[in-house]
Amino acid sequence: MALLKGTLDALVLKALSWGPMHGFEITRWIEDGSRGEFAIEAAALLQALHRLEERRLLRAAWGVTENNRRARYYSLTPAGRAHLRAETESLKSAVASLAAMLSARTASAPGGR
Amino acid sequence: MMPGFIRAGVRRLFQLAVRRPEEAAADAEAELQSLLDEHTRYLTARGMAPDAARAEALRHVGGPLPRASILLHRSAKRRERSLQAHEWLEDFAADLRYGLRVLRRSPSLAVAATLTLALAIGANTAIFSAVSAVMLRPLPFAEPGRLVMLWEKNPDFHWDREDAAPANMLDWREQAGVFADVAAYPHFAGTITLNGYGEPRLLKAQPVTGNFFDVLGVRAELGRTFRDAETWEGSGPRAAVLSYRAWRDVFGADRSLVGRTVELGGRPVEIAGVLPARFAVPGLDVDVWEPAGWNRTDRTQIWFRRAHWVRVIARLKPGVTLEGADAGLQKVVTRLQHDFPATNRHMGAGLTPLHEFLVGNTRLPLLVMFGAVAVLLLIACANVANLLLVRAAGREREAALRLALGAGRGRLFRQSLAESVLLAGLGGGAGLALGWWGTRVLIALQPAGMLPVNDIAMSWRVLAYVLVATALCAVMFGLAPILWAGRRMPADVLRDEGRAASGTLRTRRWGDALLVSQVAMALALTLGAGLLVRSYLGLQRVEPGFDSRHVLAVRVDLPGIRFDSTSKILAFYGDLEREARALPGVEAAAVVSAVPLGPPSWSSQFAVAGREALDGQVVHRELSPGYQKVMRVPLLRGRLLTAADRREAPYVVLINQTLARTYFPGRDPIGQRIAFDRVPDSSSTWRTIVGVVGDERQGSLSEPSQPEFLAPYPQEARSGMTLLVRTLDEPALLAPAVRRIVAGLDPDLAITSIQTMDRVRAASLARDRFLTVLMLSFAGVGMVLGMVGVYGVVAQLARRRTREMGIRIALGAKAGEVQWLVVRHGLVLTGVGIVAGVAMALGATQVIRTLLYQVAPSDPLTFVTVSSLVLLTATAASWLPAARASRADPCEVLRSD
Repeated sequence: MALLKGTLDALVLKALSWGPMHGFEITRWIEDGSRGEFAIEAAALLQALHRLEERRLLRAAWGVTENNRRARYYSLTPAGRAHLRAETESLKSAVASLAAMLSARTASAPGGR
Repeated sequence: MMPGFIRAGVRRLFQLAVRRPEEAAADAEAELQSLLDEHTRYLTARGMAPDAARAEALRHVGGPLPRASILLHRSAKRRERSLQAHEWLEDFAADLRYGLRVLRRSPSLAVAATLTLALAIGANTAIFSAVSAVMLRPLPFAEPGRLVMLWEKNPDFHWDREDAAPANMLDWREQAGVFADVAAYPHFAGTITLNGYGEPRLLKAQPVTGNFFDVLGVRAELGRTFRDAETWEGSGPRAAVLSYRAWRDVFGADRSLVGRTVELGGRPVEIAGVLPARFAVPGLDVDVWEPAGWNRTDRTQIWFRRAHWVRVIARLKPGVTLEGADAGLQKVVTRLQHDFPATNRHMGAGLTPLHEFLVGNTRLPLLVMFGAVAVLLLIACANVANLLLVRAAGREREAALRLALGAGRGRLFRQSLAESVLLAGLGGGAGLALGWWGTRVLIALQPAGMLPVNDIAMSWRVLAYVLVATALCAVMFGLAPILWAGRRMPADVLRDEGRAASGTLRTRRWGDALLVSQVAMALALTLGAGLLVRSYLGLQRVEPGFDSRHVLAVRVDLPGIRFDSTSKILAFYGDLEREARALPGVEAAAVVSAVPLGPPSWSSQFAVAGREALDGQVVHRELSPGYQKVMRVPLLRGRLLTAADRREAPYVVLINQTLARTYFPGRDPIGQRIAFDRVPDSSSTWRTIVGVVGDERQGSLSEPSQPEFLAPYPQEARSGMTLLVRTLDEPALLAPAVRRIVAGLDPDLAITSIQTMDRVRAASLARDRFLTVLMLSFAGVGMVLGMVGVYGVVAQLARRRTREMGIRIALGAKAGEVQWLVVRHGLVLTGVGIVAGVAMALGATQVIRTLLYQVAPSDPLTFVTVSSLVLLTATAASWLPAARASRADPCEVLRSD
């Protein structure tokens, strides 16, 4: 299933709130966390990372993986952490109202107005 | 995995750019590959075949690989660019904070630099405000570029750009074919009495032709302006247009005033309209505009073509160039020369863009002042640069250490620049405030009419100028320490143990060069001021030909409507003179039509009975018999006027010495008969010369006396005369008594002006004094800055050589010899500066040649005096720090470090 617009950024920030990760680690974190519900495309992810770094929500540097391979590691900046908090709140309330609206329509449809 | 972060952290600590945009693409590519590798490895680890795993990973890229690559390159590049810009800004903010800390650590430097810059930028702001308002701002008229001033010239009288004869102007208007319309206004300021609004009040009045406002393209704020026909309404029913200022200040901004009738000049006048607030003609200060009021019959009168007294403004037809307009004008001029040989034989004409004409004579003084403040700014910059250089030498070790630790030179450069930007900003801000105040002072102190604009305001142009000047300053004095700091090898500096303040040869050379230029510029500025001072002193010493002390001058203009006959006018001035003479403390009294050094009187050609026609111009005045006694003008030949030279008596006239010398060389003028016409006819009045009196300077102290006729006022009555009273005591004390006499004679009469002749004389020099004082104050500031520079450089040298001086003194050298080591350096540099300054000034002072009175631009006395003064001051400025350094205890000095 594809992600809703804007939710990828929030999920990336959330993933990195656990600690520095490289791109594939972030992919795994999201895919595993959603039990395969959300599929992450590499290009979209990396673009999101670049975008977030540009906004100085992330910091990046090349590092070495457990398998001794080079990878670009990302970590949250204080601004990123603050942004994640704000984004979480607004996404949560958006999802709640979305759910409420979607369920409300099925309930009231037969009655009409 | 952590080391990467540490490295980035260190990078950021040193504030170095992370990556260039070109490298960002390669970076993104590597990242994509690493992601694919990880994915493949993940899948293989879960038992997939390597090839299948790779294919699966590629499927998850989200599109074809090349396209993904391009997208990622783009986003990575954008990221780097944005990060870099951000980083640069952050660095700059950090540099500014660093600069602020540094400045706070040395507040005396900050204060000195700010003050120096504030003075220079303040002076620049004020002068540039004037330059901008006078020279750069377009006139407040419609399409001002199409407006020209038309004028007349005549080689016979050395006339150029002179007033035109109204009849000629009317012919230009009708025949030239290149002007959309031509308007005129008499070139003399008039006054008019307003009655019925409290005390009788004098307003400044200016007659204009009816089309004047249409030519300028100005519409009334309220009511209307004049109609073309109103030029010709003679002395019939009259209308007036008020300036906005008069409407507001005199009539309380009463909107119902328009269309009403008020008593102006003793007769009812309809207020036709009010002009907009921003309307002003440079050089004209007017409350009430009146129609010219000529008569149709005037046009055929010879005086309408012989007398030259109107300024003419024309609007070019659309598409007509200046050359085209001039060609059209010259055609008419040639025709008039042919048709009216008696008046126009050699009368030429020309045109000048209106703006250029109106501000023309203010241009040079303004540009000179502008040049002076620009030089002042350079001196200030050099001064601050030297201050920073001295300080940079003190911080050499710090800079070396930072270089050694890996800071880029570029970064040091920027830090230094940030500091100078900070200093320049402080100085610029303070200077702007100072300049705002200075502009007000400039307006308040300017002699009337010097700056031909009603208001000089801060404009975007002034702000832009200050901003640019400030930025240039920052670069100029920021550059000096940078250029030097860029060269030194850190290792060399760090090896120079403990002698941090020693400075290098390079710093010294820079400082020396700055000092030389500073001295040179300060000297050039002072030389310019010196020349003006000498010229001004010379002007003050000019013998005006009369004794201005203890004389009160009271101008009274009689409204023609009530004083409509010569006998009424003569009766009034006769009573005025008699009653004034009877006042206690009055030695003598007389009336005269124009005081010397005041507004000009009229002039004409003349003829001597029995001689060829003369091509010459003489000025005229009318006066009462006591004039020479009041003004202490000597009688050289013949007799003075007496009470017997009445209206009915034979017509007589006095001449001044210049006239006698010019037109009667080697002959006795007494008894000769003259007429005020070039070619006398049966209508001419013949007068007999009865006396020769001493010359008075009529126009200004800087111009020689003109040939002059002095006629008894009963024989040539004027409705505007000045009462002159010679007193035993301070003349100003007599003013109330004279006011009472005037009020007693006619309670509805307003006095035009009351001032002492000393004041009149001083006012005639107001413009020279204003320029001299301004220039002198700029030179003074420049000089102080220059000397502070000398002091600073020598003090630094003394500090550097304190150790050496201590050793020499310990070895038995005398304090004087040791001091000389340092003083010599200051004097040599000053000497070089003086030579350079003199060379500079020899070129520059040519520009002010026309502003000088009987002083050559390369006046040796001024040059020698000012140069010696500079040398003397520089000696003192060098000796002070040298003496202090040599007094230091040798033991103390040798023990330190």
